Amino acid sequence: MRVRSEEDIARTRAFWAANKPGDASAPVVPPDPVPWWYVAGALAAALIGQAALAPFASFRGGTVSFVTLLVAWYAVRNGSLRGLTFGLIAGSCEDALAGSTGVAWTFATGIAGLAAGRLARTWLADTKLALVPGAAAVTLLRDGAFAVFMQAQNTPLALPLNHLHAALWQSLLDALVAFAALRMGDFGGRLAHRR
Amino acid sequence: MIVTAVVGLVQLDAAKAGKPSVIAISVGTASLLFQTAVAATLGALGSAGSDLVELPRLAAQNATLRERNRTLLAENLRLHEVLASVPEARAIERELDREPGGIAATVVGYDPENVFRQITIDRGSEAGVRGGDGVVSEDGVVGRVVAVLPFESTVLLVTDFASKVPAVVQQGRWWAIATGTSGRVKLQYVSQDAKLRIGDAVVTGRGRSFPAGLRIGTIARIDHPEGALYQSAVVEPAVPFGRLAHVVVLPSREAAEPGAGSGSTSDALDVPDGSPAETRSGP
Repeated sequence: MRVRSEEDIARTRAFWAANKPGDASAPVVPPDPVPWWYVAGALAAALIGQAALAPFASFRGGTVSFVTLLVAWYAVRNGSLRGLTFGLIAGSCEDALAGSTGVAWTFATGIAGLAAGRLARTWLADTKLALVPGAAAVTLLRDGAFAVFMQAQNTPLALPLNHLHAALWQSLLDALVAFAALRMGDFGGRLAHRR
Repeated sequence: MIVTAVVGLVQLDAAKAGKPSVIAISVGTASLLFQTAVAATLGALGSAGSDLVELPRLAAQNATLRERNRTLLAENLRLHEVLASVPEARAIERELDREPGGIAATVVGYDPENVFRQITIDRGSEAGVRGGDGVVSEDGVVGRVVAVLPFESTVLLVTDFASKVPAVVQQGRWWAIATGTSGRVKLQYVSQDAKLRIGDAVVTGRGRSFPAGLRIGTIARIDHPEGALYQSAVVEPAVPFGRLAHVVVLPSREAAEPGAGSGSTSDALDVPDGSPAETRSGP
């Protein structure tokens, strides 16, 4: 477990005080970082699941990207630098599975992690509903960055408009999955509290 | 005394008439019910007793039958699986017979983000797969190898937007380029003179990755705009990509003919080199 500095804790308290005065449910310290083996296991499951099922789980050309959601979630919990690192690792795994994308997913996912990490320890990260459009925005950013990096590698996407269409659907699906995950998390938390 | 006299008289009367007396009928009916009940009880007891004696043997027999049933179910499942794989195995064998140098491979995955229509197969450079190799199944053309790792390769399907394969409409020998449209294949640059018909078979033209004559699909729709230089057609692929499990990689002719030039995995077009005598590209 990472030891947090007094300044770090004080800053979080200040954010809470500024944005949610009088909220009794506000945590007094930031959440603990996620253990790396949890994240590694979740990443492996997301990658294998997507590689095995992506064409069958697609809706109007868009497919839920569990890898993006995982990177965004990790980055929000752990900050930009860790988000960037995890994004680069997850993206390189996707590039390895995709085969013909060079390093486009690596850097696109890294940028997505970096951007999502900017939300960490701000009031936005603690506003759950803001995480749902956040997931959509990170997905769109990642898909856009992917197209740019593919272009930079001299392997441009054949029909950019089609990919934009698919990216919009993917961002919507990711937002829905993020919303469902948050609701399930709340439900699980309430159950645990009752016990 | 009176009762005895009555009984005696009733009995004598019945004997004299040659019929069963009232007393005999009453006693017989009552005893029948009683006897039935006793017999049933005794029968049940006897049966229960014999069952009790037989119980250990039945239990053992039951366990044996259960075990046998379990074994048979497992065997049945295995045989069903073998039976299901026979057509696929035969299809691959037939394809390998047609292409003796082919490399049989199994589909193990897809593009994780589904951006490209591509599959991952379990054969790579260690098995002799090279970039640009054509990939087919018994039904027809699957796609082309675009990335090779030692033990796996990525195949761009003919339905991907980036895929371009030289094609020939079998009836008429009209030349075209087959490009992907995500779900189907589109024939482009077909001469306006070509007499295309719905249902016409479309096969590969001779190119870097594929030999001539491999089935791509059948024409499902024709777009013949007035005033345009070319007409186009939508082709329903022959290969059912949704349930593709086994494929055969065709080593490209460059591999077979050393010095014929180096293949480029990034080049999406399988350059046609069919002789003009075989195909017609226009007036």
